[in-house]
Amino acid sequence: MSGAETQPQHAAATATAVKLVDCDVHAQPTEPMLAEYMSAGARRRLERYGHRTPRVTDWYPRARNAGMRVDAWPGKPGHIWGSDPETTRAQLLDEFGVDYAMLEVLSGADCYDDPDLAVDWNQAMNHWQVDKWLDFDPRFRGSIAVPHEYPDLAVAEIERHAADSRFLAVLMPASAIEMLGSLKYWPIYEAAAAHGRPVAFHTGGYMDHRGAGYPSFYLEYHVANGINMQAQLTSMVGGGMFDAIPGLRVVLVECGLAWAAALRWSLDAAWELMREDLSRLKRRPSEYVRDQVWFTTQPIEEPQEPRHLLHAIAQAQLEDRLLFATDYPHWDFDSPTQALPRAMPAELRRAILAENALELYGLPAERTATA
Amino acid sequence: MPAIDCDVHCAPASFEALFPYLSDYWRQYITEGGVRLGGVAFAYPPLAPTTAVPAAREQAAREQAAPPTPESYDQLKESVLDRADPRAVVLNCLTGFETHRNAYYSAAVASAVNDWLREEFLARDDRLRASLVVSTISTEDAVAEIERVGGEPGFVQVLLPVRSDVPWGNKRNHPIFAAACAHSLHVGLHAWGRAGRAPTPSGFTSTYLEDYLGNQPIAQAQVLSFVSEGVFDRFPDLKVLLMECGFAWLPPLLWRFDKDWRGVWREVPWVKGLPSEYVAEHFRFTTAPAHLPRDRAAIGQLLEMLDAGGLLAYASDYPHNHGDGLTVLLDQLDEDARAAVMGGNAAALYGLP
Repeated sequence: MSGAETQPQHAAATATAVKLVDCDVHAQPTEPMLAEYMSAGARRRLERYGHRTPRVTDWYPRARNAGMRVDAWPGKPGHIWGSDPETTRAQLLDEFGVDYAMLEVLSGADCYDDPDLAVDWNQAMNHWQVDKWLDFDPRFRGSIAVPHEYPDLAVAEIERHAADSRFLAVLMPASAIEMLGSLKYWPIYEAAAAHGRPVAFHTGGYMDHRGAGYPSFYLEYHVANGINMQAQLTSMVGGGMFDAIPGLRVVLVECGLAWAAALRWSLDAAWELMREDLSRLKRRPSEYVRDQVWFTTQPIEEPQEPRHLLHAIAQAQLEDRLLFATDYPHWDFDSPTQALPRAMPAELRRAILAENALELYGLPAERTATA
Repeated sequence: MPAIDCDVHCAPASFEALFPYLSDYWRQYITEGGVRLGGVAFAYPPLAPTTAVPAAREQAAREQAAPPTPESYDQLKESVLDRADPRAVVLNCLTGFETHRNAYYSAAVASAVNDWLREEFLARDDRLRASLVVSTISTEDAVAEIERVGGEPGFVQVLLPVRSDVPWGNKRNHPIFAAACAHSLHVGLHAWGRAGRAPTPSGFTSTYLEDYLGNQPIAQAQVLSFVSEGVFDRFPDLKVLLMECGFAWLPPLLWRFDKDWRGVWREVPWVKGLPSEYVAEHFRFTTAPAHLPRDRAAIGQLLEMLDAGGLLAYASDYPHNHGDGLTVLLDQLDEDARAAVMGGNAAALYGLP
């Protein structure tokens, strides 16, 4: 990949229209990098005893290149894929002209940790994010990592960063100890809404595959990211959080989007039969999905007939709810120039590539480019 | 032409009906332990709207709360055979979809249910077929039961619950498919089962509705498992009928499955072609529940993406109730596709006239 030579030339500051917002970019600290930001006690516990749950890559290894783009290793001592902002700037921001890149620092391994360790771990991720990324290039935007199994402590972490407008969202995993619609997590959602931040549920987290049992392969695990999110969205709608927290906006990240229509049909059909079972709902289930749920695009479904994807988008009324994402630096990176089907109308393409994200995250539609 | 109904429920009302087929040991275990057949109440709470279509509920009321699920041939005749006059009916008894963890008990109950199905139903009407019930806990016992009754003409498939300890495609279950194929049986994978296991990656749901809809994501995981584990390469004659788990979710699932397989096929080199091609050849789906859009244009689009005429098989799912989605779908199918859905696909699957 091209590096420094593709960086913009130094020029007078000019305002340019934002054309591309990438809503799922992975910044990945190594443990030694995080350790710098942790208390001595937490660092020692982590070094000596580790986390209580395995990482997903231990369950389902990715058959080649650990599931990353081959070129994503920076070749700098101590660095891995996604750990070096300069590499990400060159390979993503500069190469594709990304105006804003939203970082999602994944923390799935921490859900069963004790509260003190979980707080320390998430604080470290946020400080590292500010220090190494948000301060490094104004195109990087953050999401607040929180110790989600301890909602009061998660709220405190949200409040610690709420004044920093570079943090665009609160980050949650797509699987937790309880269903994501559970009352347990509502304080997090209330705090996010109160501070004007959407909650981004990123695929993964601690996945207990209990419905059908544990799959054998990464292939199944990866396809099931969309399937599991269907169960979680059902829980979110069914539990009434959208009704109780009207300002809540939810982004479902890296779980696909084409299934949304079928789930809406099922939710509505079941609700028609047994409304009283969802006693907290005041409207049709699909209306909450329509009004309060956004989806990132990567990994975008690719039907053999591209117009079928357009049908799926229209059926679920997703035209103003889709946010473009590359998922850099993962193997299934969606290129901004190729991922959306050619059959997609230009207006919809513009909405997905930038406008929907600008509106959701309240980002300025023009950016002053001062390289 | 009369329909073939691929999913009609029957169940013994109590263990008394199964006692003739159980040993002294199990009769005593059941009696002294106070073990009751709960009618899989977690899946079909007696008063839930999904548990009985209005006609079944009215009949139950008239007969002063007789259970809506037919427990005898006479009840089945009155409520299904005489009313709908089907060409054939496949009976599914979910009695074995219980919570217990005792593999010995599971095997004994499965054998008793199969004997009961034969004596109470199959022997009395040549329009009737049944799913062969097996232990859902022990592969060894499931195989033994298939060996015991799989050769009898009334049994057309092995019944497995969609909720499982490990996905059904897993290697450890392959002896079940080998035994099924040896007796020219298919697999019927039915909603619910294993009530003691949480249905989602994050535990139990807090409402029945969420649990009910939970069958659909779980069914999708089973589709992935059968294809990814190479079951259809090892057992090319095997077909799987997915019952009571919906089908509108299938096209987007396959778009993603095909795409991911293209990316990581090295992990599963025994999968020789597109997952969607395996599904088209080996999976069929019953029509209940048909959770569909209300908008005709959207149904038209769905039918463009989903080969309804090739994949769907009619099921009344009596006495269960999922709303009237099927009517809406059938209205928009052409004559050939409708005939395939209402009987042709099932006839081909089970070798019925």
